[in-house]
Amino acid sequence: MIFDMHMHIENSTALGWQMSAEDCIRAMDEAGVERAAVMTLTDLPGLNPAGLELIAEACANHPGRLYGFLRLNPALLETSKELLTRAVQELGFRGLKLHPVSTLQHPGGAATIELVRHAGELGVPTLFHCGDEPLSTPLSVAQTAAACPDATIVLGHMGGYFHVDEAIDVAERHGNVVLETSAMPYPDKIRAAVVRIGADRVVFGSDGPVSSPALERQKVVIAGLGHEAADLVLGGNADRMLGLAA
Amino acid sequence: MIVDGLVHLGTSHFGYELDAITALAGMNAVGTDVAIAVPVHPKGADFVPVNDAVAAAARASQGRLVTLARVDPWNGPAAVAELRRAVGNGARGLFLHPGEEHFRINDDRVRPLAEAAAELGVPVVVAAGFHLYSEPLQLGRAAQFAPGNPFVLTNGGQLNISGLMGFDAELALANDNVLVQTSGMYREDFLEGVVATFGPERLMFATAAPQMDMSYERKRVELAHFTDAERALILGGNAQRVFGLPA
Repeated sequence: MIFDMHMHIENSTALGWQMSAEDCIRAMDEAGVERAAVMTLTDLPGLNPAGLELIAEACANHPGRLYGFLRLNPALLETSKELLTRAVQELGFRGLKLHPVSTLQHPGGAATIELVRHAGELGVPTLFHCGDEPLSTPLSVAQTAAACPDATIVLGHMGGYFHVDEAIDVAERHGNVVLETSAMPYPDKIRAAVVRIGADRVVFGSDGPVSSPALERQKVVIAGLGHEAADLVLGGNADRMLGLAA
Repeated sequence: MIVDGLVHLGTSHFGYELDAITALAGMNAVGTDVAIAVPVHPKGADFVPVNDAVAAAARASQGRLVTLARVDPWNGPAAVAELRRAVGNGARGLFLHPGEEHFRINDDRVRPLAEAAAELGVPVVVAAGFHLYSEPLQLGRAAQFAPGNPFVLTNGGQLNISGLMGFDAELALANDNVLVQTSGMYREDFLEGVVATFGPERLMFATAAPQMDMSYERKRVELAHFTDAERALILGGNAQRVFGLPA
């Protein structure tokens, strides 16, 4: 069972990017991906006040295919904690998404740490955008990982174009860090990550539907992990982390 | 004909390497007929020997490797002279790497090189997306140094994992002489948008090996949603036209 840990749904007039649940399902079907974590492109509360309902509706319309991650702004901490609690406990969301570039919240800041700890207490992982921009590099997110040892932290894009080795270093130092493979262009780094931190802490993601789940899946195939490790990366780890039945 | 628009040959000062035999083996494995080969940044920073080494590899490749001259604009007139010498020795274009040679692509130091390339009738290929050195809008300005000459940007003209640099890359593409390569560009909708908005003749397949993976980069084009005619241009027709390759 293939699980894509990183897909987006939103009609963002600000960015001009339109990504619907149906776009996700179409791209997943093309790639042979059965299930995916979906999240908005912008943060709530604030910029995207309807984001929770948007993702909840998408998941309700595609049961067994789409699983919600709630993208929040830690700057509005108490509201964000309340929204996450409701999303997880009442609506079945499976994770928290943080994009420090869009929220301008440093991963080592007190608000982010408190929100990530709250996600850990709710039993869901936090997926960070983790690339080359300030506020999002692996060493920035390592601040959160160190402060929240009981929370699972997923480095989306596993460091982007220039910080992939650093992401693997961070995962090696922090056992609560998981690497997610989307968008970065290096199949050999997936293999390096599996060798260094183990196949149980690397997960497949696409950043779809506008990047191709079919192509991103090929990145894992080309990495040449072997069946057992590939099965974990492509879905087994997500089943475990998100508490999904096979 | 399948043409890989960029491979780097040699042992780089920055720690990566690819020799011609390995490059050709990789091309065979993925069905690439011809690759545009550029020298890496050499240890010692003298580009004359590495331009000659890549030219020699091309001569031994029976037409499967086609070279571009790599020069450092900080060398001033000597860089222009090296471009002229290398083109005289068979190079089909100029390759500039602002990130590794540490210059700003729209600096006036680059203008004489762009103008010389245009005078020689060869395109310019630029390693794109490096912060401070080759950002998309800087590349767009540099494309205007010689507006009638092809100006080819690697990686979709950007290196950004948020997709947010794509807007500026589209602005760079407003220059009619700008093409972008497919290497490393994770947003399929950007690549498809280049074709839809600017035309299929503006997108060129490249792997940027060995920094990126030949097999994966080929899949990037194969799995995107292009018509057969568009894909034929992207995978080879555009490179044939821009670099003057035989049919």
